[in-house]
Amino acid sequence: MPKCIIDGREAEFKPGENIIEVAKRVGVEIPVFCYHPGLTVVAQCRMCAVEIEKNPKLQTACSTPAAEGMVVHTTTPKVVQNQKAIMEFLLINHPLDCPICDKSGECDLQDNSYKFGSPYSRYTEERRTYLDLDMGPVIKKNMNRCIHCTRCIRFGDEIAGIHEMVAVKRGNWTEITTLNSKELTTEYAGNYADICPTGSLTLKDFRFKKRSWFLKKTATVCEGCSRGCNIEVQEDGNTIYRCIARENLEVNKYWICDEGRFNYHYVHDSARVLEPATKGATAASLTSTTWEQGLEVARNVSAGKKVVFLVGSDLTLEEGQQILDFAKSKYTSAPVYHFGTPTVKTTQEDGEADPILKMKSKTSNLNGMEKLGIKPFDPSFTGAEVAIVFRGGRAKLPELKSMKRIGVGVFNLPQVESYEAILPSLSFVEKSGTIINFQGKEQKLKPAIRPLGQSKAIAEILMVWANGGKKA
Amino acid sequence: MLVKHKKSIWYEFYVIDIAKGLFITMRNMLFAPNVTIEYPEVRRNYSDRFRGMHYIKSVNGVENCTACMLCPTVCPAECIHIEAGERPDKEKYPVKFEVDLLRCCFCGMCEEACPKDAIKLSNIYEMSVSQRTVYDKSYLAEQRGNK
Repeated sequence: MPKCIIDGREAEFKPGENIIEVAKRVGVEIPVFCYHPGLTVVAQCRMCAVEIEKNPKLQTACSTPAAEGMVVHTTTPKVVQNQKAIMEFLLINHPLDCPICDKSGECDLQDNSYKFGSPYSRYTEERRTYLDLDMGPVIKKNMNRCIHCTRCIRFGDEIAGIHEMVAVKRGNWTEITTLNSKELTTEYAGNYADICPTGSLTLKDFRFKKRSWFLKKTATVCEGCSRGCNIEVQEDGNTIYRCIARENLEVNKYWICDEGRFNYHYVHDSARVLEPATKGATAASLTSTTWEQGLEVARNVSAGKKVVFLVGSDLTLEEGQQILDFAKSKYTSAPVYHFGTPTVKTTQEDGEADPILKMKSKTSNLNGMEKLGIKPFDPSFTGAEVAIVFRGGRAKLPELKSMKRIGVGVFNLPQVESYEAILPSLSFVEKSGTIINFQGKEQKLKPAIRPLGQSKAIAEILMVWANGGKKA
Repeated sequence: MLVKHKKSIWYEFYVIDIAKGLFITMRNMLFAPNVTIEYPEVRRNYSDRFRGMHYIKSVNGVENCTACMLCPTVCPAECIHIEAGERPDKEKYPVKFEVDLLRCCFCGMCEEACPKDAIKLSNIYEMSVSQRTVYDKSYLAEQRGNK
């Protein structure tokens, strides 16, 4: 491997790598605005300029590939002077909006100005202001805060595959906007807010909900489709406030789709069943009850009947195996089937729904359920009197008109009004487990929040169910 | 061996000491300045920097606060609770602004952290009430001081 020297540290690199990436590996931070590892390099913010020996001028580290024997300095007076000048230039028209701005606390401009900029401004003229047009349901634009890094334009062009953000006018009055001021149409619009280095593009969903420094972050995996994008769930006070993408070059690179980003909303849905509910002999609809009575009803309904187990393909491998064991030991020879997306029953039928990230299977663990040897559910199945439905929150419930139904898992009340009993269980942000994505990659879910309401893990429910209410 | 000291009769009855003590007492009673005040009628003047009851400063009837959450961040007692919202005349404003006075330790860090000069500690020090006091925004928005 060829070597270069960055700030006196010897760094190995692959030919073609730029100086920023090499420097990051040896622990040297070079400030950037327009550079993003997932996008093409334009070198227009000039913030990353570094001094390279035997080179008369400063070179932008993002567009200069490292070379054998190159000696790079990132803290010389010349470099520091350039960084100070660039910061002052960018902050000339940047409003002092940090108390209002949602980006504050995780803002590249804020961080870099703190580290590399000057605390004083020499600018006395009036600041440039723009009028903002609406950009659709996902993104809120504030053009005054923009520093013209064009990350959003490049993201649309290169990743989302739709040229909808453009820069109009020239020079000082450059404005980043959508073509003909239309609303954003891409299904990956949430990423615009993630990659924006300032608060120009922010999520409407997260607007003013929480300051970013209050949020506790948990690295977990999205359950929106069989790709299993790596996400970070951010919560405070046991409430999830947002999900953002996490870097994984083999699965989702740096991006997630809006469906996955806003998928967590069902966890805090007011219609979610969070207490055991049963349909008594008299009541026509589900009424909430205690765990003992809920399990008693579930036991009585299924006792001595022909039972079929339906496992949502949004559950984890561990839960799938627990259900298999339970079915085998407690309901001998009861069939176990998986359900999820009505159109995609096997991994052969699964495929890419669009050329970016989305998959056809809208449940995360279809591959895992097949690996456990569970067969897909056929809607014309009629060989049982009682169906026990396990579901994690994403799988689409099949129509089971001829059978009595017991639900275990995450349900919304309108979906399950005809059920005999509901035993609430955990959603993907409340439990740990393993899911296998369409590539065969095992990924771990991690609990981000404590279980809501009275919901319990499927393992615990099955254990009490199997022990028949006897005291241990 | 015990030694018996002979003392004069003046010393035996402490006459001189009693006279000395009485002299100090009478001097303080008649001529020394008062250290206490007659509280409800007479009030002590506190410095402008005194940290008493909170209020939210308003300019032309609009509260200065932009719900930036720096005061709950810096508050060591975690007594401030804010919820942000949006309204036509102000991009971000506090929908809810509550100060739990029982938790507050009157350190004044909220005042120091505020970038908008919105939360202030006034000179008011009479805050005793008979039940737990969580003051909401409408109460705090009354202008209680001149800072």
